[in-house]
Amino acid sequence: MSKVWTPRRRVFLTSALAAGGMAAAPMAFGATYPSRNIKVFVPTREGGGADRNLRAFSGVWKKYLKTKFEPSFYPGAAGRVGYETYMGKAKADCYNFLFGNMGPEMLNWVVKKPSFSLDDYFYFGRVDVDPSVVFVSAKSPFKTIDDVIAEGKKRTLNVGTSRLAHPASIGILAVGDHTKAKFNLIPLSGGKNTIAGVVTGEMDLGVLPSGSVSKKGTKVLRSLLVFDEKNRLGARLSSFGVNAPTANDHFGMKLPPLVSARAFAIQKAAADKYPDRMAILNETMLKVFDDPDYKKAVLKTKAPWENIRYGDAAACKAYADSITEIGEQFKSLMTGKK
Amino acid sequence: MEFDWTIFAPLFAHTLTFWWIILPAIFLGLIVGAIPGFSAANTIIILLPMTLAMEVENGLVFMVALYCSSRMGAGIPAILVNIPGTAGAAATPLDGYPMTKAGKGQQALAISFVSSTAGGLLTTILALLAMPWLAQVAFYLHSVEMIVVMLFGISLIATIAARNTLKGLIAGFLGLMIGSIGADHIYATPRGTMGFLELYDGVPLIPALVGLFAVSEAFLVIEGQSIISDKGQTLMRKARWAETFEGVRIALSKWWHIIWTSIIGLVIGVIPGAGASIASFVAYQQSRTFSKTPELYGTGHIEGLIAPESANNGVTSGTLVPLLVIGIPGGATAAIMLVVLQYHGVTVGPELFIENPELAYGVFTAMAVTYLLMIFTILPLARYMSQVTMVSTTYMAPLIIAFTLVGSFVPREYMFDMYLALAFGVLGYIARKTGYHTAAILIGVILGPLLEQYFLRAMKMSQGDVMTLFSSRLGNVLWVLLFLSIALPYLLEYRRNRRR
Repeated sequence: MSKVWTPRRRVFLTSALAAGGMAAAPMAFGATYPSRNIKVFVPTREGGGADRNLRAFSGVWKKYLKTKFEPSFYPGAAGRVGYETYMGKAKADCYNFLFGNMGPEMLNWVVKKPSFSLDDYFYFGRVDVDPSVVFVSAKSPFKTIDDVIAEGKKRTLNVGTSRLAHPASIGILAVGDHTKAKFNLIPLSGGKNTIAGVVTGEMDLGVLPSGSVSKKGTKVLRSLLVFDEKNRLGARLSSFGVNAPTANDHFGMKLPPLVSARAFAIQKAAADKYPDRMAILNETMLKVFDDPDYKKAVLKTKAPWENIRYGDAAACKAYADSITEIGEQFKSLMTGKK
Repeated sequence: MEFDWTIFAPLFAHTLTFWWIILPAIFLGLIVGAIPGFSAANTIIILLPMTLAMEVENGLVFMVALYCSSRMGAGIPAILVNIPGTAGAAATPLDGYPMTKAGKGQQALAISFVSSTAGGLLTTILALLAMPWLAQVAFYLHSVEMIVVMLFGISLIATIAARNTLKGLIAGFLGLMIGSIGADHIYATPRGTMGFLELYDGVPLIPALVGLFAVSEAFLVIEGQSIISDKGQTLMRKARWAETFEGVRIALSKWWHIIWTSIIGLVIGVIPGAGASIASFVAYQQSRTFSKTPELYGTGHIEGLIAPESANNGVTSGTLVPLLVIGIPGGATAAIMLVVLQYHGVTVGPELFIENPELAYGVFTAMAVTYLLMIFTILPLARYMSQVTMVSTTYMAPLIIAFTLVGSFVPREYMFDMYLALAFGVLGYIARKTGYHTAAILIGVILGPLLEQYFLRAMKMSQGDVMTLFSSRLGNVLWVLLFLSIALPYLLEYRRNRRR
């Protein structure tokens, strides 16, 4: 009997071990997060500021996470498509992130609420802070912001902007409100088109985050005003050798910094379900900012290193709240109801 | 910015040494161009990690070669099976496919290859010579002028409608209505999306394109034994190399046509945001307007094939001019190239020609070398490619549907786009069965949103003053030309009738 049973028992034991091993495998597999590529939903066009920013950051972050990032771009309807797709289709398992620009996004929600609840996701890591600037073509007759204001009092000036619901748009509207200069915002769908509109002379001036403007150099674009606490980029945001002043200093306004802030977001359900994974993400993300390779990657894209500033979930929330508040003030202008 | 002739010859010789990059890029470009849904832009995006890792010169040569060849590749399925690979080839099947149906597929391919390479080569040389002046085009063609340029293309609907006015106009209007679906260009308010998130960004072009042309064609193909007529099949069986040479001869005999239609492409390519789809329709419409035999267009007329193919290759050179001279990409592929250049720390704009003239001019010499190598590599293949049309419809129809559905899925990776392609296929099938022209619908779908975008921008800039449409001198000249190009055929016909 034993001769008969032994092999069967062996078979049974082997099978049981194999089955147990297979059952345990996902647990072991799951314990080493991340075990596969991470998909990143980007609600803007490829080749834009967010794309460059993401590639520079994820190119170093992957070293610490030991995985790759797969960006997908959803630029439609002022970024709405990206957010709706992420919230509607991405699995909440910490393998799907959203890399968005918090400023325009919050203003988007001020203008029109999304189909999902805003409490269902949150930003957990800010990568940069990119202040909005007022700029003109190098060939423009406007040498200073005062020239712009003086002309804006005589006639309505066309201002190219990436989109209406954008901190930069709010900035120029606030200046118009304060100085009584008349500005007509023309949304041109993205930074590249906005720069093209200004450079080709179709727009009198433009407003965009500083990164896109400074990269072109003062021989192509001259910067006249910055919406931040100070002009951190100095001569790179200047006109005829004079550094662009801040709106608050120049006009005595009390605007909060009107910045684009690109950050990684995740579904709240994913963070609640996998706190261990979130801890890994937060810990490795911080390491990227101290890595000299990251600085090299940023400088290679010609983005200003001064704009790279980490912010945790709390900092992201504080920023989102402040931009929402100012957005509510200018809601009617962004929706064309005034 | 003066062109330094002394660097041209060594630069050209230097570019030839990149043949080992250019040849694979040409074949890859032809393949991705021929598959609906793929394009140079998304292929370069997929291969971005590779191009970023390459030396800047190698990466740039690779991208340029891929860009040029993909444009030509898109014309191949448009001619053979009525499937334009990209929106830029949407006007190609209007006369290319009827040639195939008549058993002249090989000849049509040869004509397309010659007009594409000749048009591309010519505009590359022109772009090189006239770069500083061409870059200025973008400074003059603003929203108002672009409205008129769009109307040149859209007026093709009226031309198509000339054969059956009511049906042509209904088809065109339907296309414009479909084109207006999606978020508006100013306030991003969704319109006519029926709650589908996938339509927020407008009706995607590839599913509309392949649905209206290819899927509807597959449905029609099922009804017959072969794509081509019995007479055409006999011709195809007899076809030898002579057919290719005949195609080359015919194309070269229309050299003047290649020149001026490719220049239309070059000029439109320079304008940021405009592209091959606009250029090919405008060139086709202009070609028909100035033809002595406009009634032959749409029946397999050679000039109707040359015009869009020369123009869409002219666009390729055009889009790179503003990128290099003023640092503003003229189109999506140029924008991706900018990412690669910036990654390597290359500053585009006037300083590029001072700091790194070899790289700046090298882009155009790479284009020229690509076109030269391309014609010798692709032309012998025309004979074999054209045999695709001899495949039985039993295999052809499912193949077309499978390929096109995958092609619809690729650009955005939405299942929705596959369903949309099928829906457009049904619409196209009904339209063709009832005598409505699918090209008229497609023109509306492609050019309608662009026209609306420029129109809304012009209106927003002028704060609602309609007279802004007539506020620019260049715009007014274009209005007159538009009026003439629409009225001229009617006036000439009226005169001919009176003489009789």
